[in-house]
Amino acid sequence: MNLKFQIIVAAIILVALCVIINMIRAKRLELRYALAWLIVGVGTLILDFFPSMMNWLAYKLGIASPVNMLFFFGFCFSLIIIFVLTIAVSRMSIRIKELAQQLALHEKRSQKE
Amino acid sequence: MKKLIIIPAFNEESNIEKTVSAIQKNAQGFDYVIINDCSVDHTRQICEEQGYNIVNLPINLGIGGAVQTGYKYALENGYDVAVQVDGDGQHDPEFLTTMAEHLMNNGLDMVIGSRFIEKEGFQSSALRRIGIVFFSRLIYVLTGKKITDPTSGLRMIGRNAMALFAADYPRDYPEPESVVAVLRRGMKVEEIPVIMKEREGGVSSISMKKSVYYMIKVTLAILIERIRKY
Repeated sequence: MNLKFQIIVAAIILVALCVIINMIRAKRLELRYALAWLIVGVGTLILDFFPSMMNWLAYKLGIASPVNMLFFFGFCFSLIIIFVLTIAVSRMSIRIKELAQQLALHEKRSQKE
Repeated sequence: MKKLIIIPAFNEESNIEKTVSAIQKNAQGFDYVIINDCSVDHTRQICEEQGYNIVNLPINLGIGGAVQTGYKYALENGYDVAVQVDGDGQHDPEFLTTMAEHLMNNGLDMVIGSRFIEKEGFQSSALRRIGIVFFSRLIYVLTGKKITDPTSGLRMIGRNAMALFAADYPRDYPEPESVVAVLRRGMKVEEIPVIMKEREGGVSSISMKKSVYYMIKVTLAILIERIRKY
């Protein structure tokens, strides 16, 4: 990995972090859901600045190529995020159902009075 | 004793009047409530013009969510017995009195109207019957209770089951799964023979394409229901 590519990666991550933070600021993204992305961004930035850490970690974990390790972690992370979102969607759909039912019954009650 | 008929209605403009007048004629002593599951046709207008008792859901929740709204309504308004009658004219209200008597006299929590005890009336298609027999066997293996028509939508329940369903009811294809939930809580379920008609209008919620999803989802739901702890 040469310096030029390191700078490009760093620039991309910084832009992404800025976008995320700006969306949190504008309340379009909730901090609790964005936290994982911020941590990943910062982690990738650190690895980008110190690529030797990647070699060291891959060696310690017994993975032949640092790039493979990166792909593997990236894949795992994506799966975790998707799963967490599935949980969030389930919870929300239950809550929305509950709200709709309460609203309908409430409307009914207020009609009677 | 207060008895409630829950009529879930999604786009039932062609049937709803027939359903309600059949109830008014044949099911004396029963109140009814129509749960309009955010229909996009004139179901709501027709009901309001006729002055029917209707609860309008603000968003479409599917059959399970609509019927559950009815159970919540029944619980809130102090009904002792609640029964679901579909708005498509398949269920004959004449059986309701018999079902209610059976429920009260035997202290049951749920009475299911079964098409397959006397094998009269509309018996569903051959393929569907295979699915129904499969669920029937599965429920027997898991709970030790023989339910000949676990997919029957004609089910009458008492206060205990009502409280259970108001708190927790499957969103789609709820029938077999919720029977298992009731049985697993040690409540008493029995079937009585009924005659069902072929639907008079509207479309079944289970098309060929959905039947694969139906079989998998309901089977899994029953199995999971079995390993739940109470």
